[in-house]
Amino acid sequence: MQEDFHYYATYCAAFLAGFSHDESLDICYSAQFVDLCSKTLLLKLKAPLIAATTQLQLEMMDSRTDILALLDITRIWASFHFLPRDLYAKKKWATKRYLNKYRLICGPNGELVKETVELAKGKSLQAIGLAMHVLADTWAHMYFAGTPSLCINNITGDFYENYEDGERKIRFKHNPTSPDDVEKGAYTNSLFQSNENSIMNLGHGRAGHFPDYSFARYRYVPAWGDYSLIYKDNPSDYLKAFAQMVYALKYLNGRFFSFDIERYDYEAIEPYREKIVKILKKRQLNACEEWKAFGEELSGESIPDFDIERYQYEYIKADRRYKNKTFLARFFTAAIAQKAMVTNEIFKSGNILAGFTKEIKYQEKEDDDDKIREWLNSKIRQ
Amino acid sequence: MTNIQKINNVVLGIISIAVAIYMIIDPQDGYLLMLFILSFSLAFRGLKELFYFFTMGRHMVGGRFSLYKGVFLLDIGFFTGSLIDIPKTYVMIYLVIINAFAGLVEILRVMETRRYGSKSWKLKFSHGIINILLAVFCIVFIKHQRTVILVYALGLIYSALIRIVSAFRKTAFIFIQ
Repeated sequence: MQEDFHYYATYCAAFLAGFSHDESLDICYSAQFVDLCSKTLLLKLKAPLIAATTQLQLEMMDSRTDILALLDITRIWASFHFLPRDLYAKKKWATKRYLNKYRLICGPNGELVKETVELAKGKSLQAIGLAMHVLADTWAHMYFAGTPSLCINNITGDFYENYEDGERKIRFKHNPTSPDDVEKGAYTNSLFQSNENSIMNLGHGRAGHFPDYSFARYRYVPAWGDYSLIYKDNPSDYLKAFAQMVYALKYLNGRFFSFDIERYDYEAIEPYREKIVKILKKRQLNACEEWKAFGEELSGESIPDFDIERYQYEYIKADRRYKNKTFLARFFTAAIAQKAMVTNEIFKSGNILAGFTKEIKYQEKEDDDDKIREWLNSKIRQ
Repeated sequence: MTNIQKINNVVLGIISIAVAIYMIIDPQDGYLLMLFILSFSLAFRGLKELFYFFTMGRHMVGGRFSLYKGVFLLDIGFFTGSLIDIPKTYVMIYLVIINAFAGLVEILRVMETRRYGSKSWKLKFSHGIINILLAVFCIVFIKHQRTVILVYALGLIYSALIRIVSAFRKTAFIFIQ
């Protein structure tokens, strides 16, 4: 998923779930920030590197594919972008080595989604936003794994797109400078590398950006699927993702007492369903404009564009005593907790691909945090 | 290219240069060392590929390719090892053909890279061409064994240097988030 869904659509979901305009902005900012919180950025902010939620292209280019680097890659991508659906999945005759990768295949409505949402309960808005990113990505990144793996993430040449006029074969190219062409059905993907652990075989790199587009409807043969065809209908899946986000957000703000998987709040989105479906189905590379207009219509407030630097000054300038009250510090705390939870769950299942880490249980106090942040910002301004 | 691949390339380059120097110093037996290294590395790669197939590749769509690749490499490795007892001329022809084949693959890869719009292809292309020219030269002068071994050794040094240089160059990377 991209900024259009992680930022603007998350804002809409939060507002529909009953959060105020300002709260919704904090939630959607955090959801989008997951795609930008790299080690490079953390180094600049002098923040803990363990809080990284993504890797930049250059970071991955430099990344080794030895055991330690693979653990790091898997922790980041499996925890935040490719949440495994079933850590105990079985496959006949499969070796443990294969199963370790097979069990990391991402999908919605797994136990880990429930744990992710529950982990954010009673925590900061940043934790809620982060959880929404993870939840939403389980729908977009379904059938791919957040670890480099040829035998899981590779695709065959039989990759077809369904659209209004029929069906056509997707033409994949590897030139990173040429943009995806929706009209011609030409998309950039990563190069084929026969090395199992090549970084080119991470996530949906072999299918390019295509699975991230909300309009995409396609069929293909995944490497792990025993030659069976998979049909993926993104407009339908993204609608479910949106309805599930609204439900999860209602749970997180106390409107529901429990969070159950396979449950969606279609009732809340019913009045807007047609509009949402129209946005999702529109064949375009970026739907930010449409989602933004919808969000502003919902709340009657203006939604500022995402600005990666918005909270950086606050974090850098904050005094050590108050640093953990800043917007970004709360995001980092939530990120570390999420990473620890997912890594440990993978480890507990007998899978060593993400390593293990200390389990972090933290409780955020219901104090006058906003007043502290306001005071902190006034100090910074001085 | 990952750091591990870069280290591999540098190490292989240094070994190749060492072997080439040994071939120049001792043309009588130097080629046997080359043969041994080639045989061992091909067999090792074949076994590695077979291990991958039996533990993972057999569950993968198109994974049978790793079985074929493994069997082929292992077979070629054993075959290379068995060449020790045959006349030196044939062994040199075999080594030269392998070199020419590597050159051809390099040129094909360059053509593929250019099709995708890459601009950094000249070094690889010249490497491929020189590999093929050296092979042609060796075959033409196959009766002059000392000359052939010298030319082959120089070609080996050139390939090793290219390998080392490539390891330190920036590599294009495409990843889709």
